[in-house]
Amino acid sequence: MSIKAFDLVPAVERFSLMSDKAKTQIECIDVCGKNLYIGTNDCFVVHYIIEERTAPNGKTSFHSNKQGHKYLTLKKPIVQLKAASALNRILVLCDFTLTMLNMLDLEPAVGGAKIKGVTNFCLNDNPVQGNPFTVEVCVCVKKKQVQLYNITDDKMIHVKDISLSETASCIGLDGHVICAALTSQYCMVNYDSGQHTDLFPIDLEHTTPIVKRISKEEFLLSGPSALGMFVTSEGISQRPPLQWSERLLSVGYVKPYILAMNDEFITIHSILDQQQKQAIPFQGGVVLNDFDGRIFVASSKEIYSLVPVAWEKQVQGLLADKRTQEALDLARNANHVGLTKEKFLKIFRRIQQQAAFIEFSKRNFEDALDLFREGQVDVREVISLYPRLMPTSSSYQRCMPSLHDIADINQLSHSDQNIVGEYKLFLISFLESIRGTKDAHGFKQEIDVALLKLYAENNSPELLPLVEEDSGCDLKDCVEWLEKYKRYHPLALLYRYHGETDKALNIWTRLVNGEIQDELFPGFSFVVDILASLSDHDLVWKYVDWALEKDQELSIKIFTERPSQEPPSERLRPDTVIDYLHRFPQAVVTYLEYLVFQKKLEKEKYHTHLAVLYLDNVLQLMKTNNIKKEQIDMARSKLRHMLQMSSLYRVQLILGKAKEQDMHAECAILYGKLEDHEKALKILVHKLRDYVAAENYCLVNSEGRDTGYRKRLFHILLSVYLDPANEKKDLLVQPAMNLLNSNVADFDVAKVIQIIPDNWSIALMSQFLKKAIRTNMHNNRMTRLERMMSRGENLLIKQIGIEEQEDPVVMTEDRPCAVCNRTFNEPSFVRYPNGIVTHIHCAKNKHVCPVTGKLFSTTSS
Amino acid sequence: MSAAVPNKRKADAKVIILGDYAVGKTCLISRYIDGKYGQHESTIGAAFFLKQWGSYNVAVWDTAGDEKYTGLSSFYCRNAGAAILAFDLNKSTSYESLWARFLPLLEHAKEDCLKVVVGTKRDAMNEDDREITIDEAIEFAKEINKDIDISKLNGEPYFETSAKTGYNVSKVFEYMFSYCLPLDKSFNNKIDGKSTIDLSDDSNRAHRGKSCCHKQ
Ligand SMILES: Nc1nc2c(ncn2[C@@H]2O[C@H](COP(=O)(O)OP(=O)(O)OP(=O)(O)O)[C@@H](O)[C@H]2O)c(=O)[nH]1
Ligand SMILES: [Mg+2]
Repeated sequence: MSIKAFDLVPAVERFSLMSDKAKTQIECIDVCGKNLYIGTNDCFVVHYIIEERTAPNGKTSFHSNKQGHKYLTLKKPIVQLKAASALNRILVLCDFTLTMLNMLDLEPAVGGAKIKGVTNFCLNDNPVQGNPFTVEVCVCVKKKQVQLYNITDDKMIHVKDISLSETASCIGLDGHVICAALTSQYCMVNYDSGQHTDLFPIDLEHTTPIVKRISKEEFLLSGPSALGMFVTSEGISQRPPLQWSERLLSVGYVKPYILAMNDEFITIHSILDQQQKQAIPFQGGVVLNDFDGRIFVASSKEIYSLVPVAWEKQVQGLLADKRTQEALDLARNANHVGLTKEKFLKIFRRIQQQAAFIEFSKRNFEDALDLFREGQVDVREVISLYPRLMPTSSSYQRCMPSLHDIADINQLSHSDQNIVGEYKLFLISFLESIRGTKDAHGFKQEIDVALLKLYAENNSPELLPLVEEDSGCDLKDCVEWLEKYKRYHPLALLYRYHGETDKALNIWTRLVNGEIQDELFPGFSFVVDILASLSDHDLVWKYVDWALEKDQELSIKIFTERPSQEPPSERLRPDTVIDYLHRFPQAVVTYLEYLVFQKKLEKEKYHTHLAVLYLDNVLQLMKTNNIKKEQIDMARSKLRHMLQMSSLYRVQLILGKAKEQDMHAECAILYGKLEDHEKALKILVHKLRDYVAAENYCLVNSEGRDTGYRKRLFHILLSVYLDPANEKKDLLVQPAMNLLNSNVADFDVAKVIQIIPDNWSIALMSQFLKKAIRTNMHNNRMTRLERMMSRGENLLIKQIGIEEQEDPVVMTEDRPCAVCNRTFNEPSFVRYPNGIVTHIHCAKNKHVCPVTGKLFSTTSS
Repeated sequence: MSAAVPNKRKADAKVIILGDYAVGKTCLISRYIDGKYGQHESTIGAAFFLKQWGSYNVAVWDTAGDEKYTGLSSFYCRNAGAAILAFDLNKSTSYESLWARFLPLLEHAKEDCLKVVVGTKRDAMNEDDREITIDEAIEFAKEINKDIDISKLNGEPYFETSAKTGYNVSKVFEYMFSYCLPLDKSFNNKIDGKSTIDLSDDSNRAHRGKSCCHKQ
């Protein structure tokens, strides 16, 4: 709770006027610069000069020197005195009379101006008028009023009377505002606007009224129940009240502390949090006040100063008590005189760091985190509290002078594993929060290594991203640690990150083989992916054997899923790979499929190889007993798809084997590839009886050819159906009919009719014939239509042509005949299409130009 | 007397809470400001909190309910733009005090001071033992606000709260703040998001509260 904010230092010891005047007691004091004035109970004003000295050890002491004294001959106590240095006067209140003395020799001011009937007075520290040689004073008089005066060095000019509801016992003045303690309550009067504001009741039985101006437009009053009430000039409060002790005598203020004195103690409250910070026993106090920022307090015989302890020292005191919040508040609000902003910030940051370590040791992790970050603590200072988390290469020495007295977290947690765990979690969140920020600059390795070690202990999945990319983790420290905690997969990733892929792969093979375990390891396919993306092909070959033996089907991805922009390499040429793969039949197939279907390599070798492998697979299956039919069907359909799709394999080679095994469907496709359609269709019809497939065959094999080719195929199929040599030809009547009536089939009708058996009835053929006729008719009409339209078009174009050529023939008297060169005597003449004009008799043949010999069309159009 | 608040920031509005001692005024405020429920010593004199509301600062004054502080409370009411008149739902005398003792204190508040009646410790009340009916309380709340325009506000100026569970707490304050310092809509949403109180808990309850306290 407490803090040492002030030291009590004697200023004037064993005050005495004359040795015999033992009864003389201090009533009031005022300090102005080096001048200290004392008013006594027996009507003396005494003048001292005091000097403040600071010893090298920071201790302050005072030396006082009495300058003189003055007896005012009224035999009454001096109630109040106040120096007005601008006027070179002291205002003295004695026996209800306010008078002025010279500041230096204490003689009465010339003119002897005085105000009578005064019970209390105060100066305006926030004057409203600009004249520096006038002092504004407010006095309480016995009647229900206060009076304002402007006082110069020889005059007291009455300005205004302000009447009140009750008699004021003490007052404060700020600007136009008078704050007064009346007999039953406090009130506030703005003498400019005339506004009166009642504040709150005074409980005279338990409290002495106090009106203390603490800053511009703010007063502190002693309220009921020993509360110190803050009131602004507007009559409202902006701070919660202070809890004081009873029977206060007087109050002083130096930022940010309120000092209040009763007959036993001086208590010190902070106005920042309204809490009491210090209590100094002080018996028999008479008066306490602040004078230009310095606090003096008097008992009846002695005067002391309350010297503020330097704020830095107070802060360190608070920190030593682990009161971080108060320390930070005080540091923020202290008087930073003589400090540049940068300098203060530097000091403040250090305080934040100290506070952070205190919160850290109290396990207030949220506050600690904020303070560590705001105070920009050196992250290594924090990491170094955790044994073995710093990189071994680090030569970090803890900050000097030390920021804390923590040895390490084991000391803080008394080795309680739960608490150690909490500390570790805190470090994780702290490091995560600064990782990548500018606070982490330069400490990447320290941060990442520490995180790695923490994650490894916790087996956190965060390990993976940490070692995979942009990692500050070095191998030296981390390998050992990861091995210790058996985090093999992250270890392998770290090796890989540092380019030691062989070591990484070695670990992964052991993980796959089950020699070691790590639940973070995603499994075999992960290794395959790594190998598939590896640019070091020698290394790929080193592990391929192992991988393929583990799982051919997965591992073939090493070859088939290479990075798309990988340049072709000798080590991974398809031929090399295929040669290598002969031990792994499944893998070869997948690889060839990849080459043929995906890469679309048009090499006979691969196509034939793949077809042969498919075929072998089928043959193999057919030889096996108890094999499911579906399985064979699957294999064969794969084969057929290949045979149909590709045209690059060696057909004869496959056909030979297929024939041996009576694989009719495949043979049909192969014959098709050889364009031996009759054979193919015969197989489909006779052997497989698959008429749909036959029809399909015609369509597929005529794809991309002209209609004649298609008609020929369908005709072959029809002839196969109707082959008179076939004994079971009756069975094929229906399919033949279906074919004839099919919508997709296409025939040359005349040829069809030729091969239709004679015994077929018209009824049987009627549908086909009707359709044929209708189609023919339709075609016929369409053709004619087209022809006529073409002719129309032709005519149109001709017309345009003629119009283009149309030219008048101009005959003149001297135009000669192109043949005889004589002029024309008659109006008739001949003109050839090429523009030659002759006499009629000169035009021997109208189809031959007589000049050029050009032949003109004989057909009239 | 608690809460170190930097004093330099000037408040844009002032709200105050009045009510008998131990009705739970301090608990209500600290539930709103700190989002926590805890035990507090009986308030001495008054206490003070600053709360950010949009870009504004609102001064929230907590007063002491004990009779001996009545004179002070009236002083602290000066310039208040809104006041909570709090009573304990389980103690009908605390309800009667509102009329008898606290309403007159608001004479020094702003002329258009909003008076929100708040029944506290809802969690401790059994609906069967209800002493003050909702209708009666709403009637009272409407009556004391009849001279000001509250038509823009969301509901009647009567709430039943529990500082213990957080029930309806932030609603009371937001109701008052939006009366003193209306924010535009977008800001309102932001406020909701930033509130110190466990909203997931509170907003559900607030909904129920509406149907129970604001029969229209
Ligand atoms: N069950 C329950 N108890 C509450 C609730 N709020 C407050 N209390 C209890 O009521 C008692 C008084 O609470 P305070 O908040 O200190 O009361 P106050 O109104 O500030 O009292 P004064 O400061 O003396 O005026 C405490 O013991 C709290 O535990 C509530 O919502 N539910
Ligand atoms: Mg309280």
